[in-house]
Amino acid sequence: MKKIVLFLILSSPLFIKAQGFQVNLQGQKQQGMAGAGTGLMQDAAAVFFNPGGVSFLQGNSASVGMTPTFANGTFLDADNGSVAHSDAPVGTPFTAYVVWGPDSSRFKFGFGVYTPFGSIASWPDNWTGRFALIYMKLQSIYFQPTVSYKVCNKLGIGAGLVYGTGDVEFKQVMPVVDANGNYGIADLKATAANYGFNVGLYYQPTDKLSIGLTYRSQITMNVTNGQATFTVPPSLASNFPSGPFTSKLPLPQEGTLGIGYKVNDKLSFAFDANIIGWKALDTIAFYYKDTTSALKPTKLPRDYQNAYAFRLGAQYMINDKLTVRGGVAYSISPVKAGYVTPEVPDANKVNLTCGVGYKFSSHFGADASVTFENLKRTDDNLSLQLNGTYKTYILAPGLSVIYQF
Amino acid sequence: MKNTLHKIFLASVSASLLVACKPTLTPPTASKGNVDATRYVAIGGSMTAGYADGGLTYKGQQNSYDNLIAGQFKLIGGGSFNQPLIPASSIGCGAGGASPLQLGYATDCMGATSLIPVPIAKSGDITIFGNSVYASEGPFNNMGVAGAKSIYVVTPGYGNPANGAGNYNPFFTRMAANAATSSILSDAVAMKPTFFTLFLTDDIMAYAMAGAASDSITSTANFTASLNYIISSLKAAGATGGAIANIPDVTLFPFFTTIPYNGLALNGSNDTLMNLLYNSRGLYFKIGNNPFVIADPSAQYGLRLMKSDEHLLLDIPLDSVKCDGLGSYYKAIPSQYVLTETEISNIRAAIANFNSIIQAAASANGLAYVDMNSFFGSLQTGITYNGVAMNAQFVTGGTFSLDGIDLNPIGQAMLANQFIKAINAKYGSTIPQVDATQYSGVVFP
Repeated sequence: MKKIVLFLILSSPLFIKAQGFQVNLQGQKQQGMAGAGTGLMQDAAAVFFNPGGVSFLQGNSASVGMTPTFANGTFLDADNGSVAHSDAPVGTPFTAYVVWGPDSSRFKFGFGVYTPFGSIASWPDNWTGRFALIYMKLQSIYFQPTVSYKVCNKLGIGAGLVYGTGDVEFKQVMPVVDANGNYGIADLKATAANYGFNVGLYYQPTDKLSIGLTYRSQITMNVTNGQATFTVPPSLASNFPSGPFTSKLPLPQEGTLGIGYKVNDKLSFAFDANIIGWKALDTIAFYYKDTTSALKPTKLPRDYQNAYAFRLGAQYMINDKLTVRGGVAYSISPVKAGYVTPEVPDANKVNLTCGVGYKFSSHFGADASVTFENLKRTDDNLSLQLNGTYKTYILAPGLSVIYQF
Repeated sequence: MKNTLHKIFLASVSASLLVACKPTLTPPTASKGNVDATRYVAIGGSMTAGYADGGLTYKGQQNSYDNLIAGQFKLIGGGSFNQPLIPASSIGCGAGGASPLQLGYATDCMGATSLIPVPIAKSGDITIFGNSVYASEGPFNNMGVAGAKSIYVVTPGYGNPANGAGNYNPFFTRMAANAATSSILSDAVAMKPTFFTLFLTDDIMAYAMAGAASDSITSTANFTASLNYIISSLKAAGATGGAIANIPDVTLFPFFTTIPYNGLALNGSNDTLMNLLYNSRGLYFKIGNNPFVIADPSAQYGLRLMKSDEHLLLDIPLDSVKCDGLGSYYKAIPSQYVLTETEISNIRAAIANFNSIIQAAASANGLAYVDMNSFFGSLQTGITYNGVAMNAQFVTGGTFSLDGIDLNPIGQAMLANQFIKAINAKYGSTIPQVDATQYSGVVFP
């Protein structure tokens, strides 16, 4: 188990554009149901979805999953009619969960590794918005040891300590050119880590109905060791000294209310209402250690608002082995009009998902899901004066295996 | 079960197709509205010609705003746009045979080396004036000629060498259909343009660049008559539309705003010396930055200190200022390098006057009116285009070329877009703007 986790981390995960920088790919069963899973306890992914419900899981289990993500974007400039396509780097959000506890005990312990925030965008070197962005990568990995306690047969509580690491790269073309027509490049890279927590409450008033409430704290990534590299014509090298920078990126707090409803042994529904505290992201600022009259701190106004999502999913057990799932979600983007950027050309959106689960034996099972998003947003960015329409297709097929013991 | 797997398989296949496909966004079709761009002719001065970095170069001509407009006109059925190109291999040539400029390192009289505009060669490539390109390349759609005032546009023989040095324009000589008899306008009319643009700044510019010490602003009567004659002639030749740009406040161009009025830095002993020299003539100095001493015939003793809203010109001999006491202990800066408050206010009054004439002519003739004055005004505070910040600062502002008067390629592209916006608004066309990010700014070594 440990080996697999390590391998997944080393494979350098790259993530997708999702709601803001948020990635809603934390469990295949839940993904099949549009990402709903706070009120309906399914499997070890409850470590993420609701630590309070972990104590209600049957037996012990471990699961690993991965969701290769394909994003294709296109931009049409409203003023000059130029069209650019963003490359489709494959992101690989992953999850690994373990839940363990004696059946006789009210306690259950869990550990989760997952990737809640991430984004990758790669635009051509010659596109009309290249002075704003050609490459942006944000990845985060959260490690979460968890304790869950069944207070009574109807109520469970749980809490996890989160250690989050983040890794960000931001690259843009600089409007300085040499005699051969080569433009300058600014490339900023940083890593950071910090602590947070994930707490949950699970309440099951009847056999059919269950309710979950979770809160995940903000984790502020304090960058103290960023590295800025400026590639400019030699005569400007002293104006743009490469060197360290500091920055701060909030990975926001999040609250979710979830409801699960089991119609019968075969059919169940899950609904999640979710709020993400994106208001914390006001300005992304890079403070360079060495500044000059030409190199002042970079301040990128974002002015995000809090984001909301509503997710509805259903699953149906066709027989003892096979389960099918489907879901639909509506998300309200944190990106206000006038602030849409090529790094996350986000929009309010509907996304559709479907999934399937198969039990090979009483120990082994596998789940797969497909998430599809289709985004379109037209905006005139206030600070960049970049006016146009973004259209993005995101396809995220995922697979996980689960072992019960 | 089998059926379900079959469905999953189909879903996977269609999913993989989605992975490969890029979202489609189609630019709206360019529509011509009431613009007939079949034959487009541009009349104007240095910017129209593609003059930049102190000279006419092949690269500058390629990036002239009118050539860029013509490129967009092709989307609505515009024809070819013929320019009096100089050879791509030539370094180009400035007025008076000077070499065009590039950024380079130069050491001043104090031994300090800095990155400043320096001539590419000792002199410009004057061979470009040697041969007429009309026979081989003409006639021309780009009738921009550096130095063309409105009154010159209508003057026959404006390129006639027989007029004697200083009395003809060699930039026009090389491209005129008949140097002895052609006017810029007569050659333009001979093109039978269906659409034209007009952007004339030299009625003001030549005077301002002379520090208001020589040359003169065109009289209102002559400006009005020339302008109306140009427009009526082009219309009579068949032009069904056109765009006319007003005159920007040229006194805010970097040629006039780069050298600080108070660049006279004095330490203790220099300060004592300056006070000894000038206190008797009513001028007083302090340790630190002081205004330069300038010549002003209307002042007592014929000289005075420069005021903060007055401008020194970029062509002032800086080595003389730094090492030979020009503007300080040796002598006052002569009038040809200074725009005084009065001169600036005269220039601005003339611009306002001409602009109201231009606007009236645009309105009377149903032409698109391009508020270039307001565009250049916005450069004072700075503008952003698709993430590129630009302003009117010399070199660092990214818009003006190294002569401080003309524009570099991205500036020309922004100019083209001002025309295109005004044309679309006037004629109901939907011509896309130029992607200005594809045009470079100042080139750094």
